[in-house]
Amino acid sequence: MEPLIHVRDLCKDYRLTDRREGVRGGLLDLLSPRRRDLRAVDRVSFDIQPGEMVGYIGANGAGKSTTIKMLTGILTPSSGEVTVGGMVPWRQRQQYTRHIGVVFGQRTQLWWDLAVVESFRLLKKIYEVDDATYDRQMKLLDDLLDIGKLLGQPVRKLSLGQRMRCDLAAALLHRPRVLFLDEPTIGLDVVAKENIRGFLRGVQEREGVTVILTTHDLGDIEQLCRRVIIIDQGRVHFDGELSELRRRVGQTVRLSVDLRDPAASADLAAVTVGLPVNWDDETGLRHVARFNRAEVRAADVIRLVVNDRPVQDLHLAEQPIEEVVREIYRQAAANNTDSADDTGTGAAK
Amino acid sequence: MSDGATATARLAPWRRSPVASLGLYGHFIRLAFLKFLAYRLRYYTGVVSYTIFVAGHYYLYLALYAGRAAEGLGATVGGLTVREMITYVAISWIGRSLYFNNISRDLARMVTEGEIAMHLIKPFHLQSVMMAEAVGEAGFRLIMFTIPIMLVVVPVFHVGAPAGAAALLWTLVSFTLSLVIYSQLSFLVGCLAFAMKNIQGVLRAQMVGMDFLTGVIVPFTFFPAWFQSAVNWLPFQCISYVPVMIYLGKRTGPALVDGILLQVAWAVGLTIAARLVWRYATRRVTVQGG
Repeated sequence: MEPLIHVRDLCKDYRLTDRREGVRGGLLDLLSPRRRDLRAVDRVSFDIQPGEMVGYIGANGAGKSTTIKMLTGILTPSSGEVTVGGMVPWRQRQQYTRHIGVVFGQRTQLWWDLAVVESFRLLKKIYEVDDATYDRQMKLLDDLLDIGKLLGQPVRKLSLGQRMRCDLAAALLHRPRVLFLDEPTIGLDVVAKENIRGFLRGVQEREGVTVILTTHDLGDIEQLCRRVIIIDQGRVHFDGELSELRRRVGQTVRLSVDLRDPAASADLAAVTVGLPVNWDDETGLRHVARFNRAEVRAADVIRLVVNDRPVQDLHLAEQPIEEVVREIYRQAAANNTDSADDTGTGAAK
Repeated sequence: MSDGATATARLAPWRRSPVASLGLYGHFIRLAFLKFLAYRLRYYTGVVSYTIFVAGHYYLYLALYAGRAAEGLGATVGGLTVREMITYVAISWIGRSLYFNNISRDLARMVTEGEIAMHLIKPFHLQSVMMAEAVGEAGFRLIMFTIPIMLVVVPVFHVGAPAGAAALLWTLVSFTLSLVIYSQLSFLVGCLAFAMKNIQGVLRAQMVGMDFLTGVIVPFTFFPAWFQSAVNWLPFQCISYVPVMIYLGKRTGPALVDGILLQVAWAVGLTIAARLVWRYATRRVTVQGG
């Protein structure tokens, strides 16, 4: 199938001015500023099919927001190409933005001084939503996001969670084909996060909208995205299924054991001797075993421990995605130093 | 989407029709009017400050003309009698209370705080939106600001009547064009924020410089000939000097037509210039935080 979003060798350079120290330095800065280019996004390429929901993740300053800004037409790239549904975002900005919805978690797109409903009426005009669609969408979004009670209030009086619900509704009012979400759950409490995730899952299934999501919260990714793209220092380090990511890093399993009587980690290590299992002592009563599922069966570890000593409780979990991503970063950093001579192209994929 | 649109990976071409544009920007005019109405308390003090500006000039010019009369010099300065001078000052300030706005400051703030991004992701042109909002603001100013100031200033300082019904009508047309010229100039100044890290100095210079160069503070006829011919080539005189001279009956017949045409030319020229600068600036924009 033809991809909806097509990104090829996308680059963005920022020009930075370095300041010198002291009065002398300040005067020198005036005469000859020291400038250098920072490559925020470095030859990024990917394709996204219609209806996909992709997690775009990376640390602060990794280049993910810059990428999103180029995809939404806010920034013009230094080089490379982007087409979304055949349009070039920054060239055909007005007609392109008609088809997309954008939520920046840190900013609102609602009019600060207006009641929420006035913002929606304005958006109706801006996106030329007809009356029937408007009524239907408003009802649907109210059912899902429970924004009915907020409509009469000015945006500046809303809590962060309320505002985010309204912002999501605003981004979806015109039924966009592509939805860009930049940190949509930032600063929200657990319940609000769950609500937003549930909503996004529903919208994606029902409307088949294509979603690109950047986040720091890997819970978002785990619950929403099958595919992830990991970016670090402007480069794509991983692009594939979440399950493939886990496999790449190693299918590590985390078994936590609550004992009835305190013990040292060495005692437990003695119990599983011969198996590649790492034990960590958390409280003396709680111990955590980490092992690779491909090498060790969880049932064997559990049987050995339970037969050896009284156990209060057991909990088996997949390695948290944070640790998986950290591992990818670590591997990427190692690759970077290895291939420093060959201009780093080897590490780009 | 659900109606089978997912099958194609193409986005449909789209263009807003002229009628829809009118409806949209009309909506912005209405919203700006309502927004300022909600903050109207801020403007009650403005009536007082404008009256004080006019009072200051009133006593200054009375003293100036009295001094000249005492020295046996002519009763006119720069071609204006003392009564015309008072009228000039009052109408200048009354006009300013109508066309004034803060487009440059607002645009600069949006750029430096990165809020501009939220406007770039919408299918409209921010320049047109800000112009529409300026019209809405002017509507509010007319009712809550300009007319109250007029009701105070005109009787208190014995401001002269317009040179005739036609002069009054053309003054109104002329001040409407002033609004466009002022707003587009202000938009251009605001665009400087794309290139400059700190634009506060420029904004302050604009505030003072505009009032001087538009002729609000001192009429151009006070200045040497070279200065007067220099300002003829600048858009500023079209903001205040031209409409006030029409009011005073100093611009009639062909001079009046020339004045209005010059205003239209500047309004169109600056709108096009602002659009080009905006396009250049947004192509090179770097939004804070990335």
